[in-house]
Amino acid sequence: MTRNALIIAGLVVVYLASYRVTQIDFVKLISEAPKAQTIVRAFLTPDLFVRDFETTTIRVPFPIPCGSAPEADIVSSGPRLVPSVKCAAEKDKFTLEGFSLAPNADIVVRWHFPDDRVLTAARTQTDDKGHFSVAVDAKPIAKSINGVPSQLEVDTNTAVGGWKASQSLKDVMQEIFVTIFMALLSTSAATIIAAPLSFLAASNITKRGVFGAAVYYVTRSFFNLIRSYDPLVMATVFGFWLGFGTFPGVLALTVVTIASLGKLFSEAVENIDTGPIEALTATGSNRLQTVIYSVIPQIVPDFVSYIIYHWDINVRISTIIGFVGGGGIGFYLSQRINGFEYNKAGTAIWAIVIVVWAMDFLSAEVRKRLT
Amino acid sequence: MLRVEHLSKTYPNGTRALTDVSFEVADGEFLVVIGLSGSGKSTLLRCINRLIDPTEGKIFWDNIDITAATPADLRHIRRNIGMVFQQFNLVKRSSVMTNVLSGRLGYANPWLSLLGIWPDEDKKRAIKALERVGIADKAYNRADALSGGQQQRVGIARALMQEPKLILADEPVASLDPVLSHSILQYLEQLNKEGITVICSLHFLDLVHRYATRVIALKDGIKVFEGSAREIDRAKFKEIYGEEAQEVRATAL
Ligand SMILES: Nc1ncnc2c1ncn2[C@@H]1O[C@H](COP(=O)(O)OP(=O)(O)O)[C@@H](O)[C@H]1O
Ligand SMILES: [Mg+2]
Repeated sequence: MTRNALIIAGLVVVYLASYRVTQIDFVKLISEAPKAQTIVRAFLTPDLFVRDFETTTIRVPFPIPCGSAPEADIVSSGPRLVPSVKCAAEKDKFTLEGFSLAPNADIVVRWHFPDDRVLTAARTQTDDKGHFSVAVDAKPIAKSINGVPSQLEVDTNTAVGGWKASQSLKDVMQEIFVTIFMALLSTSAATIIAAPLSFLAASNITKRGVFGAAVYYVTRSFFNLIRSYDPLVMATVFGFWLGFGTFPGVLALTVVTIASLGKLFSEAVENIDTGPIEALTATGSNRLQTVIYSVIPQIVPDFVSYIIYHWDINVRISTIIGFVGGGGIGFYLSQRINGFEYNKAGTAIWAIVIVVWAMDFLSAEVRKRLT
Repeated sequence: MLRVEHLSKTYPNGTRALTDVSFEVADGEFLVVIGLSGSGKSTLLRCINRLIDPTEGKIFWDNIDITAATPADLRHIRRNIGMVFQQFNLVKRSSVMTNVLSGRLGYANPWLSLLGIWPDEDKKRAIKALERVGIADKAYNRADALSGGQQQRVGIARALMQEPKLILADEPVASLDPVLSHSILQYLEQLNKEGITVICSLHFLDLVHRYATRVIALKDGIKVFEGSAREIDRAKFKEIYGEEAQEVRATAL
């Protein structure tokens, strides 16, 4: 009775302490929501495709005073400038509108005099649709000379050519392949080391006599020892040792995978049917022949399925390892986030999501077929 | 001729599976070993090809001491002794063909066999062995796609690849129904008539009567009977099988 009360009191203290140290703040969770919105929006609009832009200058002749020069023809489509009046007397005011220009862009409206000098007439911004409207003075300095009118002009960016992959999409593609290959390489290297070792760590193969038992326990302990280290810790250690980059990342993944595969492999070896081993030994085949003909066919499907599964896992882990300098897409992502380039980070995040999903699907499909 | 002298086996955990068992098997015999489950039949058969090393006693085959053979000699001795198992002991995921060919490993070039390369001669021999047991059409099926009776026939074909002089059959029909039991034992009988000595453990009295040329009986690892099949009547059977005889007969007949 008192014991239960003590346990409950103890739990209450522990949870109160955890509440304090984790600085739980639900008010902030709600009040700071707009910040999350910004970054989520950036992530949801990844930087994927771009078009090349060309700066073009759009002009419209504007006679001052009226009749001093020919009036402009009215254009009704494409990027264009449209004054509210076709001409004006000196010091008159009118409105200039621009259509189909680059959206959300800064606009400088200039007078372009007949003698080719220019003068800023107004500054404004285009809206979402590339439209602006601004008041302009018909300055005396802009009057026509010898029947040639001054012109109103703005610079605008117009897209040329089709959409193409943005630089960050290209970088992300490259880095995601680096990550996939990091995972492939470390899984392969780990397989080459873990497969033979797993036989030594399988009790039905090794544990015979004192020497066999010693080999069995040494390999088992080796696997358990390296299994107890986290990939992140490994990556940090190798990173300090070799300088950060993909190579220490691959090494860290390899070591962790050796432990994990070694354990799974040795369990697969331990679970084989020993009947065929007995049968082949009885035919007079030697030990190696017996292993090749009776053990290998039994373990290959399990081994292949574990290898693919670990390749899949290693793609995820190497993404995380990248954050501590292990190279690949993780490193790219951490760099973009540190540089506040959230759209580019979004590109990386999407790539990771797609690749992780694809690997997951692939490994499940392959494993389904291996029975 | 096979001569077993004062054979005893005590397992590392202290179980005494055989105690001072002696008998002889002349070439061409069909010797049946009977006895309750746990009486030591499997241990006895495995001592003969040294899948199990006996604790005491000797086994001579044509005056060669099997119990004293070096590992290399032992492999030579083993390839003349085919073995058929209750659980068939096929590699389930491998093809029937590969399972049968593996019976030839004791003769094969070690390196080529590791690469899975077999001489045409051996492949022909495998097909012939499968034809003998009537399942040549299953050669390229996976072993586990076959029924129990078919799998045991693959087991016999694998033993045939050894061109054995002796076949050890450890309860070859215990996992099969009575009709299939006869069909399997008839193959062994046929091989026996062609001159292969057979030592076979069996559970059922009618099968013993039908196939054995001679019988030995084990009880708790001790040989309690040796004689012709005709000498084994119900009473004798009951004596060997003790209280469980009723049950054995019920399933046997
Ligand atoms: N590997 C082993 N280790 C320990 N005891 C065993 C082993 N194999 C068999 N035994 C024991 O030896 C005795 C004889 O077994 P076995 O030869 O399999 O009999 P049978 O084939 O007649 O059923 C049994 O008591 C069995 O439990
Ligand atoms: Mg048995």
